[in-house]
Amino acid sequence: MTTTTRKTSHFFNLQDTLFKYFLIACSVLVVALLIAIFYFLYQDALPAISYNGWNILTGMTWNTNLGVFGALPVILGTLATGGIATLIAIPLSLAIAIFYTEYTPHRFRLPLRVFIDLLAAVPSIVYGFWALQVLLPIAKINVMLPLVTYLGFIPIFSGPAEGASIFLAIIILTIMVIPIITAISIEILAKTPIALKEGMTSLGATKWETVRHVGLPFARLGIFAGVILGLGRALGETMAVTLIIGNTFNWPFHSVSLFSTGDTVTSWITNEFPEAVGLDAASLFELALILLIITLAVNLIARTIINRVSKGRFS
Amino acid sequence: MRLLSRKHTEILVKILCIVVTIVVISPLLWIIGKVIYTGLPAWNWNFFTTIIGPPESSTSGIGPAIEGTFIMNGIACLFGIPLGIFTGIYLAEYAHDSIFASVIRTAVESMAGVPSLIMGLFAAALIVENLNRNQPTALAGSFALGLMIIPLVARATEESMRVVSNDIREAAIALGIPKWRRTLQIVVGIASGGIISGALLAFARISGETAPLLFTAYFNDFWPTGVNQAMASLQVYIYNNALQPYSAAIANAWGAALLLILIVLGINIIVRIFIRPKYQEGF
Amino acid sequence: METKLDVQNLNAWFHKKQALKNINIKIPEKQVTAIIGPSGCGKSTFVRCINRMHELSPGARVEGSIVMDGLDIYGGIDAMDVRRRIGMVFQKPNPFPNMSVADNVVAGLRLAGGYKNEELDRITDDNLKEVGLWGEVKDELYKSGASLSGGQQQRLCIARALAMKPEVLLMDEPTSALDPLSTAKIEELVKKLKVDNTIVIVTHNVQQAARISDMVAFFYLGELIEFDETRVIFEKPTNQLTERYITGRFG
Repeated sequence: MTTTTRKTSHFFNLQDTLFKYFLIACSVLVVALLIAIFYFLYQDALPAISYNGWNILTGMTWNTNLGVFGALPVILGTLATGGIATLIAIPLSLAIAIFYTEYTPHRFRLPLRVFIDLLAAVPSIVYGFWALQVLLPIAKINVMLPLVTYLGFIPIFSGPAEGASIFLAIIILTIMVIPIITAISIEILAKTPIALKEGMTSLGATKWETVRHVGLPFARLGIFAGVILGLGRALGETMAVTLIIGNTFNWPFHSVSLFSTGDTVTSWITNEFPEAVGLDAASLFELALILLIITLAVNLIARTIINRVSKGRFS
Repeated sequence: MRLLSRKHTEILVKILCIVVTIVVISPLLWIIGKVIYTGLPAWNWNFFTTIIGPPESSTSGIGPAIEGTFIMNGIACLFGIPLGIFTGIYLAEYAHDSIFASVIRTAVESMAGVPSLIMGLFAAALIVENLNRNQPTALAGSFALGLMIIPLVARATEESMRVVSNDIREAAIALGIPKWRRTLQIVVGIASGGIISGALLAFARISGETAPLLFTAYFNDFWPTGVNQAMASLQVYIYNNALQPYSAAIANAWGAALLLILIVLGINIIVRIFIRPKYQEGF
Repeated sequence: METKLDVQNLNAWFHKKQALKNINIKIPEKQVTAIIGPSGCGKSTFVRCINRMHELSPGARVEGSIVMDGLDIYGGIDAMDVRRRIGMVFQKPNPFPNMSVADNVVAGLRLAGGYKNEELDRITDDNLKEVGLWGEVKDELYKSGASLSGGQQQRLCIARALAMKPEVLLMDEPTSALDPLSTAKIEELVKKLKVDNTIVIVTHNVQQAARISDMVAFFYLGELIEFDETRVIFEKPTNQLTERYITGRFG
């Protein structure tokens, strides 16, 4: 055994303490940065907050010349596109998750999992660009125009359908939300206690029956958290939506149609910001602050649920 | 009254699940296929080395955008990864169930949920506006990207360190190794695979983020000559070209998208197939 | 004694490792057959082959036949149909926590469908009485299945299996996770049930086998070493290994 210099434990305590406080400093810095985000947004939004009052949330017109900054259409745009996309994504994600946990042979699991994760990894600008160049023309001719022709009497399917639309935004957001919900659902479903699954199997249950009566009830809460997380993502998405939503204030007050052009908070800010000055810019910051609060609230709800679930409480 | 026998229900469910899976995966393959098919023709030596010219020109390249992306990613990693790792170490090894620890954890999780556009606006407000007299700067862009890296790396670090078995820590204690060394050299050493995976995935993630760069680094047709200036990036390049009416611009955008996808998906595939499975508890 | 299960040349594997080697055994009906042997001898695997649950394990493979009432379980019947006719009780009680006590009992029947609510209620009551739980839980039928004590949970699981009117009841170390009092109650229950049910019980407790079984099968390293009446096995076993195991001379 080699002899080591015996430093006094006092010295080690000093090193340990220094390291510990260094780590704490880093962590505190992270918290400070988060607070700074709020602070700086708030600072820049300040002039607009008092000026706009509630109008920012309830007003339906945004007119820089008249000094009117009402963002209701884009807020509704964000909520609708995000909400509908998430709703559509739920059954689709569950189907994939169930397929993965129950029906996929073990050697195909890794490839499938990688595919799902790659879906989540595609940069949103590429999604947007592809949606604009490829999906839009195809959807316009094969889906939107026919629907307008045959179902156009129903307000939400009425024309004109230019291509860029709320509808397209919903589709692309659905694709982006699915991998999030799927990943969490898989993780949670995989945690179903084997004893319970075997109980079901021993009664002669099919795989679907087992999932339905034991797996899903168990995973219910965790899946809900995943849905909320997916919703948060959809609400904050910018680039994929900006390119294909049309960037107008049309929806929903000018036209309720899903095929009309519209806007979300994020794409609105993206388009207005470059030229915005004064109160216009401040109002945009105010909008950003509102979006930040909403997405953080959504995220925190999801994380709280996940924490409860991973501690073993399933209801 | 059953509509279908139990066996048939099972078969139906299985088929439905397969169909849905195929339907959902196909956009991925479609996008990759289209990007390769349309983007590859744009690739030539000129493409990678020339400066960005007017949109209608077919001889312009994306050289500055490539360099810009790597420069800004690099700076972002420089401060984002260490901060993320140290925060992750704190949460894994030093945080006890105190209010302080949960505040830190909440902050890290919240940061992960901040939309990238907001990060960009924050960096614009903090740096471009307040510190840089409203001049575009790649530093602000890097800053925004770095902020996005922090929670991703922190999470990966914490998770990787948590799975290191306590036996190892106890063995180190028994040998009289001080905590800081124990943590840094031994536990981090074992967790390094997970940490590196997390860092790589974070790098891939920010390579695809456009919104943080829009109002910070803006864009620049020319090769970067310093970091305190507007800088091109692949992401913003694609965005700028996407709405142009010129076919040359669109063709070049596809070429850029191909490069971007190669980097992003390439890293993801390598990490998820080759590195991760060794460190993850089974799927 | 009529034979209920005619096991012929049964072999089973986990990946490359062979867990059961050429098992040939005739399990008699309406009797308790105990499967004993040291850890890893294949007793659980054997029993799980009977209700075709072994094949669900990764890398699992089975060869051979088990004939029940003229039908080979491995002869092309759907595994799920087999499991609906053969019940199983596991080592660790596994009532469904998201279902009430009553719903647990009839869980299998609900899956099959076609039962009116009154019928299900009656079946619930009958089976809870059969396992001796009725008096203890009759006021709490609507509580979660997991809210009962360990011994009660296991009896609930037995009721759940019995409600399916299985032709064979398999029990895989059903009392090893329970306290002595619950163990005794369940042993009493098994002795009562065998009048109308064919029971195969795996146990690592040799005394338990002596107490409740009519026939004993001794497994060792995947092979069936000896199968005979309980009395014979415990008083005058033919095989030396059997004797050594019974007398505790190897663990």
